[in-house]
Amino acid sequence: MDREYTIVGTRMTRTDSLAKVTGSASFTADLKLPRMLCAKVLRSPHPHAKILNIDTSRALRLPGVKAVVTAADAHGVKWGVFKYTQDHPMIAVDRVRYVGEDVAGVAAADEETALEALDLIQVDYEPLPAVFNPEDAMKKDAPLIHEEYANNINVHVHIEVGEVDEAFGQAHLVREDTFHAAGEAYSTLEPYATVASYANGYLDLWMPNAAPHVRAKALSNLLKMPLNKVRVRRINVGGHFGSRSEVSPGDLVTSLLSMKAGCPVKLVLTREENAACTRQVHDIQATIKTGVKKDGTITAKEFRVVYDGGAYSSTGPIAASIPYYVYEEAYRFPNVRYNGYRVITNKGIRGMYGAHGRAFLCGNEMQLDMIARELGMDPMEIRLKNGLKVGEETATKSVIISGGLEEPIRRAAEQANWTEKRAGLTEGEGIGMGCVAVMCGFPMGFRSGSACYVKLNDDGQATIVTGICDTGMGNESMAIQIASEVLGIPVEDISLVNADTVVTNLDPGAYSQAASFVGGNAVKRACEDAKRQILGFAATKMNHPAEDLDIRDRTIISKTDPSKSMPMRWIVREAFFQGKPIAATGAYMPKVDFQREWIKKPYGQMAGTFSFGCSVAEVTVDKETGQIRIPHFVAAHDCGNPINTMAVEGQIEGSVQQAGVAVLTEETRWTEGLLLNPDLLEYKVPLACDMPEIEPLIVCSNDPEGPFGAKEGGLTTRMNAYSAVVCAAHNALGVPLNEFPLTPDRVLKALDAAKGGDKS
Amino acid sequence: MITSKFEFRSPKDVEEAVRLYREFQGEAVYLSGGTDLVPRMKLGLEKPKAVIDLKRIVPLTTVEDQGDWIRIGPLARIFDLKQNDLVGDYFPALEASLEATSCESLQMRGTIGGNLLQNSRCLFYNQSEFWRRSKGFCLKMGGESCNAVPGAKTCFANYCSDNAPALCTLSAEIELSGPDEVRRLNLEELYTNKADKPFDLQPGEILTAIFVPKKKSIGGYEKLRVRGAIDYPLLSAAFSFVDGTGKLAIGAVGPKPYVVEMKQPSHDAIGEAVEVVLKQVRPVGNTVLDPDYRKRMIPVLAGRLINKVMEGAK
Amino acid sequence: MERFKVKLQLNGEAVELDVNPSETLLETLRDRLELTGAKDGCGLGACGSCTVLLNGLPTRSCIVLTAELDGSEVSTIESLADGTKPAPVQESFMEKGAVQCGFCTPGMILTAKGLLDRNSRPTKEEIIRSISSNLCRCTGYKKIVEAVEAASSTETPKT
Ligand SMILES: Cc1cc2nc3c(=O)[nH]c(=O)nc-3n(C[C@H](O)[C@H](O)[C@H](O)COP(=O)(O)OP(=O)(O)OC[C@H]3O[C@@H](n4cnc5c(N)ncnc54)[C@H](O)[C@@H]3O)c2cc1C
Ligand code: FES
Ligand code: FES
Repeated sequence: MDREYTIVGTRMTRTDSLAKVTGSASFTADLKLPRMLCAKVLRSPHPHAKILNIDTSRALRLPGVKAVVTAADAHGVKWGVFKYTQDHPMIAVDRVRYVGEDVAGVAAADEETALEALDLIQVDYEPLPAVFNPEDAMKKDAPLIHEEYANNINVHVHIEVGEVDEAFGQAHLVREDTFHAAGEAYSTLEPYATVASYANGYLDLWMPNAAPHVRAKALSNLLKMPLNKVRVRRINVGGHFGSRSEVSPGDLVTSLLSMKAGCPVKLVLTREENAACTRQVHDIQATIKTGVKKDGTITAKEFRVVYDGGAYSSTGPIAASIPYYVYEEAYRFPNVRYNGYRVITNKGIRGMYGAHGRAFLCGNEMQLDMIARELGMDPMEIRLKNGLKVGEETATKSVIISGGLEEPIRRAAEQANWTEKRAGLTEGEGIGMGCVAVMCGFPMGFRSGSACYVKLNDDGQATIVTGICDTGMGNESMAIQIASEVLGIPVEDISLVNADTVVTNLDPGAYSQAASFVGGNAVKRACEDAKRQILGFAATKMNHPAEDLDIRDRTIISKTDPSKSMPMRWIVREAFFQGKPIAATGAYMPKVDFQREWIKKPYGQMAGTFSFGCSVAEVTVDKETGQIRIPHFVAAHDCGNPINTMAVEGQIEGSVQQAGVAVLTEETRWTEGLLLNPDLLEYKVPLACDMPEIEPLIVCSNDPEGPFGAKEGGLTTRMNAYSAVVCAAHNALGVPLNEFPLTPDRVLKALDAAKGGDKS
Repeated sequence: MITSKFEFRSPKDVEEAVRLYREFQGEAVYLSGGTDLVPRMKLGLEKPKAVIDLKRIVPLTTVEDQGDWIRIGPLARIFDLKQNDLVGDYFPALEASLEATSCESLQMRGTIGGNLLQNSRCLFYNQSEFWRRSKGFCLKMGGESCNAVPGAKTCFANYCSDNAPALCTLSAEIELSGPDEVRRLNLEELYTNKADKPFDLQPGEILTAIFVPKKKSIGGYEKLRVRGAIDYPLLSAAFSFVDGTGKLAIGAVGPKPYVVEMKQPSHDAIGEAVEVVLKQVRPVGNTVLDPDYRKRMIPVLAGRLINKVMEGAK
Repeated sequence: MERFKVKLQLNGEAVELDVNPSETLLETLRDRLELTGAKDGCGLGACGSCTVLLNGLPTRSCIVLTAELDGSEVSTIESLADGTKPAPVQESFMEKGAVQCGFCTPGMILTAKGLLDRNSRPTKEEIIRSISSNLCRCTGYKKIVEAVEAASSTETPKT
């Protein structure tokens, strides 16, 4: 850090926490508006079927029912993040493609009536053959789920750099392995909900979302309404992790119901609906081939990765690429071929996940350990040797401007006593390391940037207005903290207005690690401009050069002569007097290559900057029962500079649960298109008693672009914690572990398989 | 929400409770802590016309030292019972199984009687009405065949009570009070060995007492589960050694606990006991771990438990 | 449909309610009384986000019928603060950074409060055992454990 900050970098109590500990913080399901109706959704019981007819007349006749909607009330617009992936009507038109797909919606005076009305809607289906896994779906005679996707291949991402085949030919050692991981459930504790209120041609909406502007745009398209008439408002969000990025079918149904009934309508999904009918995480199969030199230098990589995409596209090519990118952002691959296939199946819809890609990432890191063992190298050494450094480019041409993999590795290894521990392992013990690097923001066209307004109020307090959205990680508090640092006024003097599309300016949202780096930068710039204006007025009023003035604790003060000072509010009032109230705008657009496209041109600068991370896990494995315990976990994350140290630690610790421990417990289970564990009992989110002793380590690389050097707060751990755990288990057992999660039955199967001889 | 509509009654004594049951012509359910029953009603697995709350019947809540027997009221809460000195002093297997039951908050609401009479469970059965309609009703819902084992004509749901195995190893007896009689039987006799209707109960019968012989024992309980709390057992083993005889009970791999007696728990005796159990159990893929794995863990869990208990006694 | 009369001591006040027999305590609190601090995370007793104190014991209100509760004492998160002053356990959740999205927080705090009321100096193991009744998807629990530890040295034991 090149300068002492007043509040940036402290363990500040988050500004949103008081409302949350007292129970007064409102979430969508808590909202109650006058005349509000209750909505329920009729869902497809079939994984794949034609809709022959829908008869809603009996439901409409039920007393208390105010509106019923079907696809006939929608506008035939389909959702998909890209033009070439727009395939999801959100309310089924003539075909259903997964169990739980939205078919009709009802708004009634109360929940009981709404449920009764669902039973009165008659839908005639003609069941169609269905397909439930990608390998079957790609077969020639498989039922085609969308006409436009031949062989049910939704997207194919192909990346080719260098001379891959030649490099494999010259490699000292080549290994190929296949890994498979069951998909996960986001398991945000808040089930999905939407409140829509339509009046006088305007639609107001509340729902757990990670990017109000992106959500409003999607809904304005789906509803064929001008964007200025669709307003998404700020509301507390009970967790996100990727699940709240995109528009949800419930948003459309609820909006249509409110428009039809002319009353506010609230839809609250059950836990089961949240699991089966909002997006979940892809099942992934990854075949990984690696060639190395004798000294462990990676010379060639080839990947074939198949993503079970469920019934619709969602983020399509992004989901089919990200696991690869976060890996090439960590390591140097001179020659690489990546083929990622996202395949449509008759299963629930899937989206991006904070911990997306565990088959791919765990697989790569475990294979690296197998290679290191064959070469007689320490897993740390092989990572250090291949890790990217500042100034280098990734395989697909993104420049690393800060950080690099070395420091997180060294810090984590030191804290975990890597070398001594490895030397002293006893039977059943293992230690493992996982690395990754993560992009902060990525190209989203003009929506990649953020803008902030700030105004100074008559008592010298400030209001900042920003599109930054907080889904639980503390982004609101972060914005206030940055403003406080720049403006020299305490946090309690700052009011925040955020995440409201009518009021706030564009912001990329809380899902591409852009909140601090992009949104925070915009807040910083706006406040810097306001500060410049304040100091300008102060210079005249105090008859002192502006360059020598600063604001500290609500006071304008001379940097060289602290006796010269004046309350800031006097200056603010002076500005009002002169008819030039202090108001400023600041914006930040990350320096990315906007020509870059996920399929057509996957080369060029992907993000403004990258964060790096290394996790080290220690495990003990009971070879008789296959049970794995993780007594100790160290996670080093390069966040650039922490804005709020406690919040960054919190992200790291949460990631250890969601990736590190989850890789032992979490998986969605299916029976022919029906989720067997759409709950929080049989879907195993780890509990306090399952957690290791966690040591979060914050690495500061002081990013030249980020606000106060900040990048993002903890995502690397979410994408490497599982690798550390499976590498540690591999270290303890000495056999390949290709199926995740590492539940005890899978561990024993792997041990049995290896008894045949093929120890690695 | 609970969609079925019912009336609610809280009788003050057992006679009144039984009378109410008859008044509603059998379409009534008894409620203790409700931690098994209420989720079932929410899923539409239970649609009673009346709910008869037993919590106001004070004598059902107490624990009593009767000399030769300890009488445990079925409405005693798991959390209170695990802290009861009599349990700690005499029944270590039960103390351990109470501790291993669900989680602390649920232990504070859940009762021992409700724990014994909780319904059997299956991933294909403990689902919402929407889910079950989509899949098609299974045997336990009055359908034609099993969904977990397609085509099968038997139900494979698991009886997952954590405390039944321990009580079996302690030779517990139970008292059932019904419209016609009060009867006392061995806990083991409660089970039908049929997963779709696990208990041999007459309509309206109330579990009114659990009797455990007041004899010092050594023992313990081991539970296989994915998480350290909340989870039901995927397999469990209870063992008690009383008066020179050991009893092993294996739970959660079928519709009842499998109980075997052994004189001295030698290596061979344990092996034989486990063989007896293995011949009877039939785990299938209706819970979260692989059925072969659960079966394979029976000797491991049992062996470890018994050795630990016997070592501790030395 | 038959109604059922229930008298409660709710957040220190006597209330008389006329409820539907099939109504859960969580529904009564959230829908009837507009006490929305208790959250509905799963509705089936699996997550603990609906936890309230029932006669002082942390209880999942989504699987309790209000009709069961005649004569009981119920405290929700809304009653914990002393006027505008948060209770020590609430303070320590804030100070230790134990709150992220906040959805689990009311239930988690009441579970912790239940523990501290019966054991004012719990060990770390006891804290972990208690809060393992509740799910949190954001924090990894570390800061929650720290917050309860910190609160245990300030919370005044209930007499
Ligand atoms: C998330 C979750 C996790 C759980 N985990 C476990 C676990 O790990 N291990 C475990 O064993 N259980 C577990 N349970 C189940 C349950 O909490 C316990 O079994 C508890 O002890 C049941 O007691 P209860 O008083 O709540 O029963 P209730 O729900 O009140 O009753 C259960 C059944 O018994 C009947 N009944 C109750 N009392 C009597 C009586 N005296 N006479 C006749 N019939 C009666 C009821 O009609 C009902 O059918 C879990 C439950 C949940 C929701
Ligand atoms: S909502 Fe009650 S336990 Fe989850
Ligand atoms: S803070 Fe989000 S679930 Fe606990």
